[in-house]
Amino acid sequence: MTSRAELTKLGFVKAASFVIAACVLAVAQSAPQPQPPQIRLPEVHLDAGGLAPRTIEQLTGMTIARHYALAWRDLAGALESSRTETLGEEFVGFAKDRLRQRIGDQQKTGVHVRIVDHGHHLKAVFYSTDGAAMQLLDEAQLEIQTFDGNKLLDTQIVPHEYIVLMTPGADRWYVRDLEEVSDKTF
Amino acid sequence: MKRNARSNFALCKRLTGLTLLWVLSGSARAADLHVPATVEAGQAFSIPVPGSGQANFYLIGPDLAVKRTVSLGSDLQIESSDVRSAGRYQIILCDSSCYSATFEVKGAQPAHLSFFLHPSRVPVSTPDSIDATAFVFDQYFNLVLTPAAVDFRITPASGASFSRRSITRDGVTWMRMGSTPHEGPVQVTAVLGNAEEARVIQQVAAEACGLRMKAIGSGKMVTLETDPVRDCSGNALPDGTVVSFTKVDKEGKSTVDTPIKKGIARAQFSIHGRAQISVACGVVLGNEVALNGGI
Repeated sequence: MTSRAELTKLGFVKAASFVIAACVLAVAQSAPQPQPPQIRLPEVHLDAGGLAPRTIEQLTGMTIARHYALAWRDLAGALESSRTETLGEEFVGFAKDRLRQRIGDQQKTGVHVRIVDHGHHLKAVFYSTDGAAMQLLDEAQLEIQTFDGNKLLDTQIVPHEYIVLMTPGADRWYVRDLEEVSDKTF
Repeated sequence: MKRNARSNFALCKRLTGLTLLWVLSGSARAADLHVPATVEAGQAFSIPVPGSGQANFYLIGPDLAVKRTVSLGSDLQIESSDVRSAGRYQIILCDSSCYSATFEVKGAQPAHLSFFLHPSRVPVSTPDSIDATAFVFDQYFNLVLTPAAVDFRITPASGASFSRRSITRDGVTWMRMGSTPHEGPVQVTAVLGNAEEARVIQQVAAEACGLRMKAIGSGKMVTLETDPVRDCSGNALPDGTVVSFTKVDKEGKSTVDTPIKKGIARAQFSIHGRAQISVACGVVLGNEVALNGGI
C-alpha cells in the first residue's frame, strides 16, 4: 500500500522530470536585470529523473534551469562583447576564472565569438545529500561564429556537450564549473 | 580575332589551373591540419602544417584566445600552458582562406580532492546518517572524468578505524554510512593517490534510553531527580538537554522543563492530595511516580 507521504514524494520526483522551459523563460524574461542587446535568454530543459542520492524539489529545478539560462545569456554576451562586466553574477569559482581569462585574451587579440544559442537539454546526474552541489550534463545546440575584428574566421554548427557543476548561494544557483566534453561522456 | 580567342582560352586555362592548384593546396592544408582528437591537460604537442609563407594562427579554448603569426611548412608548437583547462579547443589557420580543426583537452591525473562531509553533528548508532562526497580534480583543477577509486578512511574516537572504497563517476563519488555507537569526534579522510582531505564529524549521544526518576518527599514538597541520563549505547546526554517533569494533582497539571546538569535533571514540586508525576526527555517517556501529598 502506498502511503500519502510516498505519493507526495513520487509526485515531486515526477514533477522534477518535466520540461520547465516555459516557466523558466516566463520568469527569467521578466527579471529586471540588464540584458545585452540581441541576446535572448536561451531555452533550457531540465530532466531530473533518476537523480541521486537526493531528489530535487520542483522549485529548485526551476531555479537551476533559470539561472543556467541566465548564465548562458551572460556568457554569450561577454564572449561577443569581450567585456567581463557582461559576465554577470551567474558564474563563480573555476568557471568564472576561466571565462575572465578568456575574455582578457580576446581583448588583447581582437578575437571574439558570437554564440547563436538554440537551447540546452540539461540532465541532472548528481545532487549531494546536503544539497551543496549538483552535477549536470548539458547537450547544447549552438552555432559558434569566431571573428577577428569584423572578419568571420569560422562557423561551427555542431552539438556541444558540457559537464556542469552548480552550487547554491543565498538567492540563486551558481555555475561553478563548466567543461565541454566529447559526446562519449553521455 | 582568332588569335585573341586563342590567347583568352590559354589565359582561362592557366587561371583554371591556378585556381585548381590553389583549391587543391588549400584542401591539402585543411586535410593536413592534423590535430589529435584528445590531449591530456598540460601536455605540449605540435601540429605539422604544410605549405609556405606565413599565416595567422588562432587557438581558442576555455580560458584562452591566442593569435600569432606562424610560418607554414613547419610545426606549430602548442605549449603546455596553452592547454591547461579541460574542454574543447579550436585551431584556426588563415592565410588567403581559413581552415579550422578542434580537439579536446581532458583532465590529467587526479591531484586534488574537494570533499564534503555531512552533517557536522550526528547522533550515535544512527543508520545512513553520514554522507561523504568527493569531487576529483587534476593539478589544474579540471574535473577528472576517468573513473578513479577514492578511499574514505573512518577513524572514530574509540574503536577500530575502517575504510570504504568508492569509484568516481564523471568526477564525483559519494558514500553513506551509519554513525558508530560511541560519542566523540570521528575523522573521515578521503584519499586518492597523494591527495588527502580530512573532515571531522562530532558524534553525540542519541535519544535518552531507560529514563528513570526518583522522588524525595519533604512535607508538601517533593524533589524529583533522574538517574544519570544516557542513551541506549551508554553515552551520557550532554548537559543542557531539557528534561520535562509533569505533575497532575487536584490543583491541575503543571510542567517543569529543566536542563540536565552533570548528567542529572532535578525539579521540585509542591503537591496537593494524590499526585501523579511523569518524566520525559525529547520523545522518550520515563517512569511515573504516584504520591500522596500532605494537604
